[in-house]
Amino acid sequence: MMTELLTEPFVRHILIAGVLAALGLAPWSVYVVLRRIVFSGAAVAEIASAAVALAVLFQLAPFPIALAMTVASFVALSRLSGSGRLPPETLVGMLYAGGSAASVLLIAKAPRGEADILNILFGNILTVPVEMLWTLAAVFAVLSLLQFFAAKEFLISAYDPDMGRALGIRVGAWNMLFYAALGVAVAVSIRAVGALLTFTMLVAPGAAALSLTQRLSRAFALATVLGVVSSVAGVALSYQYDLPTGSTIVAVLTALFVAALALGRLREAGA
Amino acid sequence: MAAELIRARDLSAGYGRHAVLRGLDFSIRRGDFLGVMGPNGAGKTTLLKTLLGLIPPLAGAIEAPASGGRPLFGYVPQRESLDLHFPLTALEVALMGRYGRLGAWRRPGARDLEIARECLTQTGMEAHAERLYPRLSGGQKQRVLIARALASQPEILLLDEPTNGMDVHSERAIMELLSELQAKKDATIVFVTHLRATVEEYAHRVALITYDGRLLVGEKKNMLAPEMLASAYKPR
Repeated sequence: MMTELLTEPFVRHILIAGVLAALGLAPWSVYVVLRRIVFSGAAVAEIASAAVALAVLFQLAPFPIALAMTVASFVALSRLSGSGRLPPETLVGMLYAGGSAASVLLIAKAPRGEADILNILFGNILTVPVEMLWTLAAVFAVLSLLQFFAAKEFLISAYDPDMGRALGIRVGAWNMLFYAALGVAVAVSIRAVGALLTFTMLVAPGAAALSLTQRLSRAFALATVLGVVSSVAGVALSYQYDLPTGSTIVAVLTALFVAALALGRLREAGA
Repeated sequence: MAAELIRARDLSAGYGRHAVLRGLDFSIRRGDFLGVMGPNGAGKTTLLKTLLGLIPPLAGAIEAPASGGRPLFGYVPQRESLDLHFPLTALEVALMGRYGRLGAWRRPGARDLEIARECLTQTGMEAHAERLYPRLSGGQKQRVLIARALASQPEILLLDEPTNGMDVHSERAIMELLSELQAKKDATIVFVTHLRATVEEYAHRVALITYDGRLLVGEKKNMLAPEMLASAYKPR
């Protein structure tokens, strides 16, 4: 079946998009889980949706606006969460609710059809154009390099910011860079493969890897492998059984997460 | 007299516009073993954070006569402040002490690993280097955090409640370790504690934060005199 998948250009594009999304997002998912910002991803996706709907309403280019809003939302969350009297989830929850409502209201008044806007809004792994694959590959390559060279700064900023500051590391600036990079990854990925797959890829591989391994250094590699395996398996299953591809990959990722969680628990109980 | 590493002049420290500590004048000298005591909420941690540069002084200045710039601190936070979800080994935690020495974008190398291991050895944790930090006992965690601070090759070691929540045996072991570091390496150590007995047994000098936000620094026997403690701990 793999040969079939690879020889069919249409399926090959889907497969490449899925694998690129996994390579680009899965390593970030380890940080997303450890930093406890899982729902920030969902909230920011809603803000991006509202931005696209706004752009469509005023006939502007949707992607740059969504990208700017995604990055700005992540950066704002990083600056505002934990400040003030309310717990950080409050801001995340209100961003999610406000973004969702704004999307619905703006789409209702937009001159283009709803399905058309939703496609621009959330992308679709089945209709991902070749140029988008190149964009994905280029953006994720740059972000992977960033992750590699800024690994120590990203780690200490998340794990022990006070120690980082005491060592002279500019924790605030590195946190901003982290969230801005995450925003770019999310915006590009949503445009290419859809919001649901982006969100799941930003959580499940990291959560599964952290359940299976007890070494942070291995968790990044394992999350990437799990993400790629899920993408390939999801595309193959959707091709074989004529299922929606994005949702099939999400289902595989979910199954993998549950299995990893169970395995991790079993191992802990046996230890 | 040993060189002054830190000199505070008319320093006020606090959060926002609220000064917790006011008009502090004191110095920390090379080889000092200074115990910082005071009532709960008087500003012990505020003082530590201000020295570290985590919060800016509200007034006055902190100078570093010996280095000219900002001295390099090795910070040992309260161990409860660290997130136990991070699956890091003792060695990986100790290695973080090297981060400030490396500069931005550079990854730790073999020499940094070697230094981190040496510091774990100094704190008696070499056999636990590959164990997960969250699975270590309270005393072992504290030793790893001290190793991490040492790995930064600091001029001053600052410890926030280093023996908090420990049993008597572990508390003694940690303080003996600090005492040994101070004696053998002439390390400069400042530790914050609420335990009078610890200060009495180990510190060479005492900084007493009073209930009204002043700081009195002096020799142990003077600072721990009952009348001095009574005036510092006078209820608000």
